[in-house]
Amino acid sequence: MTLAAIDPPQLQRQSRRQSQRAWRAARVTLLAEFNQWGRVGSVLFMLLARTCLCFWLWQALYRSTSTSAGMNRSQATTYALLGVFYMSFRSVNRWANRDMMVQHMLDGTIAYWFLRPVTPRRYYCVRALGDLAYGGAWAALAYTVCRSTGLIAAPVSAAAGLGAAGSLVLGLAILYYLQQLIDLACFWTVVNFQLVVMYGIVQNVLAGALVPLWFFPGWFVGFDRWLPFQGTLNVPLSLYLGVLPMSGLVRDLALQAGWIALLAVLTALVWRRAGARVTVLGG
Amino acid sequence: MSILNPLRTPGPADAGLPMRAYRSVRGTPARWALYGRITALNFKAQASYRGEFLLGLLFGLVWQGALVLFAGVLLLRFPGLGGWTQGDVLLIAAMRLLSHGGYVAFFPNVSNLSFLVQQGNVDGYLLRPLPLYRQVLLARFPINSLGDLLAGVGVFAVALARLDVAWTPVKALYVAAGIIGGMLVEGSLQTALSIAAFRFTGLATWTAWVDETLSTYGNYPLNVLPGAVRGTLTFGLPLAFIAYLPASIVTGHAGTTGVPAWLAAASPAVGLLLFLAVKAGWYGSVRWYQSPGG
Repeated sequence: MTLAAIDPPQLQRQSRRQSQRAWRAARVTLLAEFNQWGRVGSVLFMLLARTCLCFWLWQALYRSTSTSAGMNRSQATTYALLGVFYMSFRSVNRWANRDMMVQHMLDGTIAYWFLRPVTPRRYYCVRALGDLAYGGAWAALAYTVCRSTGLIAAPVSAAAGLGAAGSLVLGLAILYYLQQLIDLACFWTVVNFQLVVMYGIVQNVLAGALVPLWFFPGWFVGFDRWLPFQGTLNVPLSLYLGVLPMSGLVRDLALQAGWIALLAVLTALVWRRAGARVTVLGG
Repeated sequence: MSILNPLRTPGPADAGLPMRAYRSVRGTPARWALYGRITALNFKAQASYRGEFLLGLLFGLVWQGALVLFAGVLLLRFPGLGGWTQGDVLLIAAMRLLSHGGYVAFFPNVSNLSFLVQQGNVDGYLLRPLPLYRQVLLARFPINSLGDLLAGVGVFAVALARLDVAWTPVKALYVAAGIIGGMLVEGSLQTALSIAAFRFTGLATWTAWVDETLSTYGNYPLNVLPGAVRGTLTFGLPLAFIAYLPASIVTGHAGTTGVPAWLAAASPAVGLLLFLAVKAGWYGSVRWYQSPGG
């Protein structure tokens, strides 16, 4: 069939159908990871090693004391291990596949993102959901195993568990938008390797993934409260452990939703500007 | 073709190798001048992306600063970790940071070998009249190293102020040797890991994991961990030799490490021997190299 034989409404319908099937791109993560079983084994080994080392370190730290910064051994160990599992959400390594946004920018293949029957913003979202689902599966597996073996404590109540789960979903949405802003920076800087890595560190520190935020001085926690990072991890985990009361749940969730709305508007604006300045290296 | 044998420095008899190219790198001063020119060009290339360059300078400081923050918070909240005073633990952290700073200054490109292979750079290296390992080390200017070294110097200054050690020239020299030994242990680990890059992609997660494990658990006295874990981190992933064991000699904790005192004292030599053995193994493994072009 020639292009001339296709009438515009037919083209539009075809385009809409293709757009509706865009979710299939989420499978790319799973297909890429399982293409090499060694990578799956690596993720499993590293998750196991991180979990064991983290557990033993925190058990050792509490050998000489029963409470520190108001946290007992079980709470601190649970928080630290949940922090390890949380990092699994970002365990997908797109480097090896040359599938990071900055690599597409350097290779010039970023141009294809703007030629598909799906907007680049939607494509990014679908792929990120695939990554989060894959990382989330590892986190869920680790959580289930550690809960069943008693390494980590249960949520203080069923309501706290549900509140923490809801807060975690919103926290992941914040994480998604923040990561997107960092990735989009390469439209202006061409390379953003250092920015991506630096963001990962700042995110882990300010979210409380490295050390529970309760161990930090008051001024640090007060400053961090004005940033979106706490909402990605510290809030859900604090709800899980009962450190944040359920009476403040609505306020906590509203704050997270506020950040999501703000970041969503910001990323939409940045995408619009980015589309106007795509650089295809090599001509 | 002998030129493709990276085990030795090529000679004039090597077919296809321009004599002038070979002569230009013959002799130690000429070689160092060449390394200097390559490094200067790499520096210039990276400085052309100004924002990225500045972030690179900051990166080491932020990453190591975050880990020192982690260690500092734990030290304040849990004093007397494993029977070590704050100053003693800070010496471990400082020695590890300085070792890591040295590693980042000299060996960081080894951990990026999988990318160099993927981009086809190694094909080019095999045709040049310089040893392959050296070319890998010179592939990119380590802009992160400045921040890493700064973090190390800062923590070392704090540790010195808090340490209760009677310093002698021998002890000071031992600390310096320990730092170099630690750098070689880290370089050996990443070099050993990079062997897999000759055949497999996706090694970045492993190199990052090793880096993260050394950076996170290399700052503490390992005697707080269960015996089996301590053994694994001493003889499996030899993290203990980077800073913990040499610091135990300086601070007088060698008896609590669970390792014979002579072995703990020999940590700098362990680093050197490990590096030489791994480097020989690395060259021996080049025959596994599979070009991305097939």
